[in-house]
Amino acid sequence: MKRAAALYLGGLVLLVIGAFPLAWMLSTALKPSGEIFATPPTLLPRTITLENFQRLFTETSFLTYFANSVTVSLATVLVTLTVSSMGAYGLTRFAFRGRERVAGLILMTYMFAPIMIIIPFYILVKQLGIVNTRLALVLSYTTFCLPFCLWLLRSFFQSIPLELEEAAMVDGASLPRAVWYVVLPLALPGIIAAGIFTFILAWNDFLFALVLITSEELKTLPVGVNDLFNATIVDWGMIMAAGVVITVPTIAFFVAVQRYLVQGWGAGGVKG
Amino acid sequence: MTRHPLVGWLLLAPSLLLLGGLVVFPILYNIWLSLHDKHAFMPVQTFVGLRHYLYFARDVEFWTSVEYGVIYAGGTLLLQLLLGISAALLLNEGFRGRNLLRGVVLFPYMIPTIVAVILWKWLLNDSYGLVNHLLLAAGLVRVPVAWLGKDHIMQSLIITSVWQFFPFVVVTYLARLQTIPPELYEAAKVDGATAWRRFVHVTLPQTANVLFVIVLLRSIFMFTKFDTVWLMAGEGGVSRYVRTLPVYAYARSFTYLQAGMGAALAVLMFLLLVAITAVYFRVFHAEEATG
Repeated sequence: MKRAAALYLGGLVLLVIGAFPLAWMLSTALKPSGEIFATPPTLLPRTITLENFQRLFTETSFLTYFANSVTVSLATVLVTLTVSSMGAYGLTRFAFRGRERVAGLILMTYMFAPIMIIIPFYILVKQLGIVNTRLALVLSYTTFCLPFCLWLLRSFFQSIPLELEEAAMVDGASLPRAVWYVVLPLALPGIIAAGIFTFILAWNDFLFALVLITSEELKTLPVGVNDLFNATIVDWGMIMAAGVVITVPTIAFFVAVQRYLVQGWGAGGVKG
Repeated sequence: MTRHPLVGWLLLAPSLLLLGGLVVFPILYNIWLSLHDKHAFMPVQTFVGLRHYLYFARDVEFWTSVEYGVIYAGGTLLLQLLLGISAALLLNEGFRGRNLLRGVVLFPYMIPTIVAVILWKWLLNDSYGLVNHLLLAAGLVRVPVAWLGKDHIMQSLIITSVWQFFPFVVVTYLARLQTIPPELYEAAKVDGATAWRRFVHVTLPQTANVLFVIVLLRSIFMFTKFDTVWLMAGEGGVSRYVRTLPVYAYARSFTYLQAGMGAALAVLMFLLLVAITAVYFRVFHAEEATG
């Protein structure tokens, strides 16, 4: 009995730590301006209003930032999954000299935090003439997701018996068809995990967006919202509303495929 | 047949091209840059050899940034481990609502840094923040604490970062906990070991390897953390009380526009990490040999 009580108490503490700050953000976002600064603060809004969201959508460029973030993140997921599935397939299904060494070198590039190469990276992107474009962001995010995704997908592909696709090919399927209909569906949990990892990285990134994007109409959410925050006197209701809107896609995405993600994290996280 | 090695290389080509062009080349370019005086935007540069490195060896700001970096990385690492391991142990027990809680715990890790930062700035706001209100109501403080002022900004930054990153420890530690054979615990129970002794004699030795990896990855990650630190304190005002090495490198490059100096700081950051990692490996292996 004592043990059960201790477990539930611990669980409650953990629930408060994990979820309360987010609940407080939502609660603040739904309060009218007067109530936000009330003493003592009200836990739940006495009057629920959407005026903070309305101000956010009509008086700021938030919707532009949001659209940019969606475009860049989805494009990054698409490019990263294509490039890393191809690469991982090449690493597992073809025997060539130096294969293991290449895989090791790829993992090594993962050790370099973006901040450690952001200066030459910026100069390079500028020389390529793609500074201040969405393309620059997509390429940056793809590159920094690649080592993780390649290793994750490699471990998934390794666990799929070669005989399965060979059987499909004996039945007359070409190699690309065998991969598409046999290998990729079996590696789906890994692909989904890699996709989520990529999406979250692209959706959350601040540094590349800060350095590579200068024009207002190309800014993504993290930089845009930081600008809103720094603009003048902080409009807490509106800022919390922005926080809620940014958080929703990530959490919705995550809840929908949580099962796969935990599986993928288990496989990739421990090895990495 | 179609399994020609060349096809393998071809499939790998896009990955290698991206990593080579956008990671490996910049790393080399960075070393080259660090030996030059270069403006961040202008295309001219002059060779200065090791002058930047010699400058930073005597630069107070550099050593302060290393010190802040160690305080920040050390503080967040310790608290992340404490909170993360406790949470993982709890989530490894059977109780109703456990799976839901396992999901909820990941929330802080999922949300963008900008959200974590504005959220904690609101919670820690000196006049209207919930934290100060609760502290005042409980009688723990008599005047509101200036959490984001110069005296407490480091603590606030550490709190925000720990909240944001402890789920990583939970996930990795929990994954390992689940693979410990239950027989080990049953044997310990038969021997009459208390919960604490079971943790020390069964759980810890079993999870030593994963802890080794977690500590290594988290240290590197926290030591090179840029966005949380930068967003929490901005560029002026209190930012100099939390100016860690990544923020200092950024400021040199993009605020003072001294790309060469910024590049030198990046190289120094890397060398420090290599040194710390080498010491860490040595200490750990020594421990393993004696223990």
